[in-house]
Amino acid sequence: MITFVVRRLIATVFLLIIVSIITFAIFFLLPKLGGQTTYGLATQYVGRNPTRAAVLQVEHQLGLNQPLQVQYWHYLKAIVAGEHYSAGPHSVYCPPPCFGYSFKSQQPVWPQMVSDAPVTLSLAIGAAVIWLVSGVAVGVVSALKRGSLIDRLSMGTALAGISLPIFFTGLISLLLFSYKWPVFPDVQYVGLTTNPLLWARNLVLPWVTLAFLYSALYARLTRAGMLETMSEDYIRTARAKGLAERKVVLKHALRAVLTPIITIFGLDLGLLLGGAVLTETTFSLHGLGFFTIQAIQNQDFPEIMGVVMLASFFIVIANMVVDILYAYVDPRVRH
Amino acid sequence: MTAPIEVSGDAAAAPEAVLSGVSAKVVEGRSLGQIAWLRLRRDRVAMTGGLIVLVLIVIAIIGPYFVQNPSTYHAGLINPTFSRPNGAFGGISLAHPLGVEPVTGRDMLARIVIGARYSLLIGFLATALAVALGVLMGVIAGYFGGWVDSVIARSMDVFLAFPLLVFAIALVGVIPSSAFGLSGNTLRVTLLVFIIGFFAWPYMGRIIRGQTLSLREREFVDAARSMGARGPYILFRELLPNLVGPILVYSTLLIPTNILFEAALDYLGVGIVPPTPSWGQMLANAVQQGFFSVDPMYMVVPGVAIFITVMAFNLFGDGLRDALDPRTR
Amino acid sequence: MKRHKVLGLAAVGAAGAIALAACGGSGGGGGGKNTSSAAFNAAVGAVYSPSSQKGGTITFDNSSGPDSTDAGNTYYAFNLNFTRLYATALTTYKSCPKLCGDQVVPGLASSLGTPSDNNKTWTYHLKPGVKFEDGTPVTSQDVKYAVERTFDRSVLPNGPSYFATLLAGNAAHYPGPFKHRSKNLMGLTAITTPDSSTVVFHLNQPFADFNYVVAFPQTAPVPPAKDTGADYQKHPLSTGPYKFASWQLNKQYTLVPNPQWNPSWNPQVKQLPSKIIVNLNVNANDVDNRLLAGDIQMDQPGTGVQAAARAHILSNPTLKASSDDPVTGFMWFYYINSKVKPLDNIHCRMAIEYAANKTNLQTAYGGPYGGSVASTAMPPTVLGYQKFDLYHALTKPGGDVAAAKQQLQMCGHPNGFTTNISYRSDRPREPASAQALQNALNQVGIKTTLKGFTAANYYSNFAGVPNYVHSHQIGLAAGGWGPDWPDAYGWGWALFDGKSIVPAGNTNISELNDPQINKWFLQMEQTTDQNQKNTYANDIDMQVMKDAAILPATYNKALLYRSPKLTNVNVNSYYGMYNYGTLGVKQ
Repeated sequence: MITFVVRRLIATVFLLIIVSIITFAIFFLLPKLGGQTTYGLATQYVGRNPTRAAVLQVEHQLGLNQPLQVQYWHYLKAIVAGEHYSAGPHSVYCPPPCFGYSFKSQQPVWPQMVSDAPVTLSLAIGAAVIWLVSGVAVGVVSALKRGSLIDRLSMGTALAGISLPIFFTGLISLLLFSYKWPVFPDVQYVGLTTNPLLWARNLVLPWVTLAFLYSALYARLTRAGMLETMSEDYIRTARAKGLAERKVVLKHALRAVLTPIITIFGLDLGLLLGGAVLTETTFSLHGLGFFTIQAIQNQDFPEIMGVVMLASFFIVIANMVVDILYAYVDPRVRH
Repeated sequence: MTAPIEVSGDAAAAPEAVLSGVSAKVVEGRSLGQIAWLRLRRDRVAMTGGLIVLVLIVIAIIGPYFVQNPSTYHAGLINPTFSRPNGAFGGISLAHPLGVEPVTGRDMLARIVIGARYSLLIGFLATALAVALGVLMGVIAGYFGGWVDSVIARSMDVFLAFPLLVFAIALVGVIPSSAFGLSGNTLRVTLLVFIIGFFAWPYMGRIIRGQTLSLREREFVDAARSMGARGPYILFRELLPNLVGPILVYSTLLIPTNILFEAALDYLGVGIVPPTPSWGQMLANAVQQGFFSVDPMYMVVPGVAIFITVMAFNLFGDGLRDALDPRTR
Repeated sequence: MKRHKVLGLAAVGAAGAIALAACGGSGGGGGGKNTSSAAFNAAVGAVYSPSSQKGGTITFDNSSGPDSTDAGNTYYAFNLNFTRLYATALTTYKSCPKLCGDQVVPGLASSLGTPSDNNKTWTYHLKPGVKFEDGTPVTSQDVKYAVERTFDRSVLPNGPSYFATLLAGNAAHYPGPFKHRSKNLMGLTAITTPDSSTVVFHLNQPFADFNYVVAFPQTAPVPPAKDTGADYQKHPLSTGPYKFASWQLNKQYTLVPNPQWNPSWNPQVKQLPSKIIVNLNVNANDVDNRLLAGDIQMDQPGTGVQAAARAHILSNPTLKASSDDPVTGFMWFYYINSKVKPLDNIHCRMAIEYAANKTNLQTAYGGPYGGSVASTAMPPTVLGYQKFDLYHALTKPGGDVAAAKQQLQMCGHPNGFTTNISYRSDRPREPASAQALQNALNQVGIKTTLKGFTAANYYSNFAGVPNYVHSHQIGLAAGGWGPDWPDAYGWGWALFDGKSIVPAGNTNISELNDPQINKWFLQMEQTTDQNQKNTYANDIDMQVMKDAAILPATYNKALLYRSPKLTNVNVNSYYGMYNYGTLGVKQ
């Protein structure tokens, strides 16, 4: 088991490095292939009507004129070992994980991401709880009452749920519950520790919007899983030996269904930054998703690299955790 | 974004399941396809979905020749103070059945119809690319196994480790407006197809790899092999025909996912270039300029268009899967 | 989403000829009357609800944030306005309503600069007794150092670069005081400090407008020992009525009264509220709602409310009476490139001038409350502006198709031609405007392709790179502009002078290089005579339009909501928004 975990860890780190190389190459190489010079690149970080000397100074400071592999090496080194930056009279130490200095805001990237993370985490965790509970509950009920009105209704809603883009449901909910009937007037992030009540109230609309899509997916998955499991022999056996239906469903069937659901749940959580981009853009929540969009609009490469790396990190870690848990449950996987 | 497809464990058993699902009443001599088609035809919901898909395709192809010019301004239909259309429901009238756009007064119907063309075009092409790549890589990995399998499986892992949406927007953002000898929307459509298709193939690849792995061990493949059949023959004559079912189902379900993905890119401003209209772009305008509260129709019309399209594909895809694998019904 | 996008890098207001005529060119009297009755535009021509009551809290919201809270590193109009609360530059703009507010008056300096050597040397004397918030006296060295640090564009990239281009001596290659500090600290030779209260600027050319240049807060003193470079913005040492109490990146900063402050240091700002809070990255959907609900008092960017709030305000008489719709001094237009074929032919350019549908452009830029139709290359707020209408923009705002076709005949393309329009796709209004222009040009056979770019590198890599413009045939480029100071030079040098054409980051996208216009700009550099300057302004404006180098769209306006709790509210015409230096609040 331990060797499996170690092997998996090494593979994960390796995967992250490959992702970072590809990302780095794409963002620093592609503009050059598109005819962009490093001088031109530097110009966009200097402000209006810059003098030539100023542009050259910035080009040098950002290291844009160095060979790509040297830039990449510096980048990697900074993440692991930190880096000294000169952004004033004295050089400033940027401790690991140092994702570099933003070209635009002259701030280190990491603290910016850390300060935006609570918004995205609150959004993700709240929505995840809602969709896991409601999705599984609806799925189980639908499966048990297969063919009934409830089943048809909830499966119809679920189908609608996976067919609606988040940014449309988000706008509808804003229009209805923030403008028409201001039940949730402000969608402004308030820190959980500052005011828990306001934190929850202001996040209700984004939570529900994001959770709607995923609940629909999970309800469909759960229902399909339940239907399959309920026709298995061991369920028939359990019933035959006279167990109460409740017990059969909760103790035997649901347990079997939940394993793959939890797997997918882990992977979805890792992928959630993508969903956060759309939700945060729609609700103007200033979390990591919004940060991403702004980084891209500003062509701020260290920031873009930072969020791509962070997002990949979550995905890869989620994958790894799921794999290890699987290996723990099912020893065959280890080999 | 989530994985586009529900990869449940039963997928691998699909062809067998079809067989087991055939009851004694079924007339002899019908192929699997015929059986599935019979089932599908009886599924009214799926058929409705399929019909809507057909209608949408027809609209996308010939619709643009019947609507008015999507770029003509109708300043007279706009209230200059509030920039929103005169009249109720976004200025709905006989001349403009879906109303007009705020600020410009352009005909919404025309813009929706042209939006449908691009949406479907990109949805189909990206799916075709993803399926082609996914099937190719999946079959190769599954059939040959060994180091070939490891390399392909690892590279799929790398792809799946990328934050799709984040990466796609960043990528479109750095590519200049003319490159590779293309420019304008031709370039954009090509880019979108490649980016979406390129990131979607590993999902397809994983499914096909799994299927191939299990099929490889079946008796009929062994039989073919023992009769001296070589790799390509087994691949194309024995394996692929058995993969048609899942490929069909998952392609149908991949199309709506890709349509949604494309709409999201439009919404984030890296999709189709204006003045060519697209649904996601209209929603983005509605939110950026705050019109979604002043003129809700501007948001509702493209939103519903996306919804109907994606829903129709999902209905049809679900029906198709059920027809090929009745157990999940 | 970028709902409260700052208009431009230097979206700054401007002055008017009438005021200066009235004020006789020097610091004239108080301008308009005071008023306490709420009415639409009440704070545009007068001070609304004047009061000297102290105390209370004013909260500003910003859906984004300033480019930096460091006064030496900012170019946003609202922030030039706001930083006066804690940074006092050598000169500043007068706090009074109407066009009186465009006059440059002494700030940290005891009087405006004394020019010598044919306007090539400018001398400023500091007011006696000015101190930093920690009690240390301000010296001329602190002013010199403040300018020096803005030379390091790798640390402070945002501010204007006038000092780098205008100063003599080693300015052209001076790297700023951060690198090799022992050598470069106080190493800028073009600024001398003969004594602790005198600063002398030595220029490499005559520059009559230098008093405007030192009004940028880049001259607000910074003590070398306390400078922390990029981090200085977290607590810039105050020389104004307020000082920083807290600063959180992208979240909030708060100001409290500076106990050292003496009103004589800068009479143009006041110390009334006992706390000022600025919330950053506020959900854009909420800013207007919070403003109307009274939860906050000010929307910091000052670029006007969104469509929803606009409809709400204009359809409710009470709300409308609490709002202002001032001209901001900002202008939207299209550059018409004079090098890209067939636009190198003036008649092809004129065809575009005539064919454009100005009403549709106005609608795209926010309708009548968002701006009025423009017919000149300068807004009415520029000193010396005179109204004229060469291409029937005002008489035929829907476009003059007949005249356009006639011009097309004369340029040898009777059936039109093809070209490209560039614009910033992530600006809320430019896509709509570019599509409006495309549609109008199509009516006369001019076929255009739209090319959208991100605002971040529009000037640095695309529209502002002449080589790119030529190779990609970009005949028309959307642009927006605010003057760096309110005369024709501050408005137009970077747009119209042939010398301003640079290989990247170019703002003269028309590549206009008209010897006559260049000559007038040169003369403006040499004369301090305001009447003479006003004549040049009109001459330049007229010639730019005759050259058909600019297609004017609108003179920008912004619908602002005036919170009823606020006192001393007035629109400063230089900043083109409420004057943040004098606000008070009822309790």
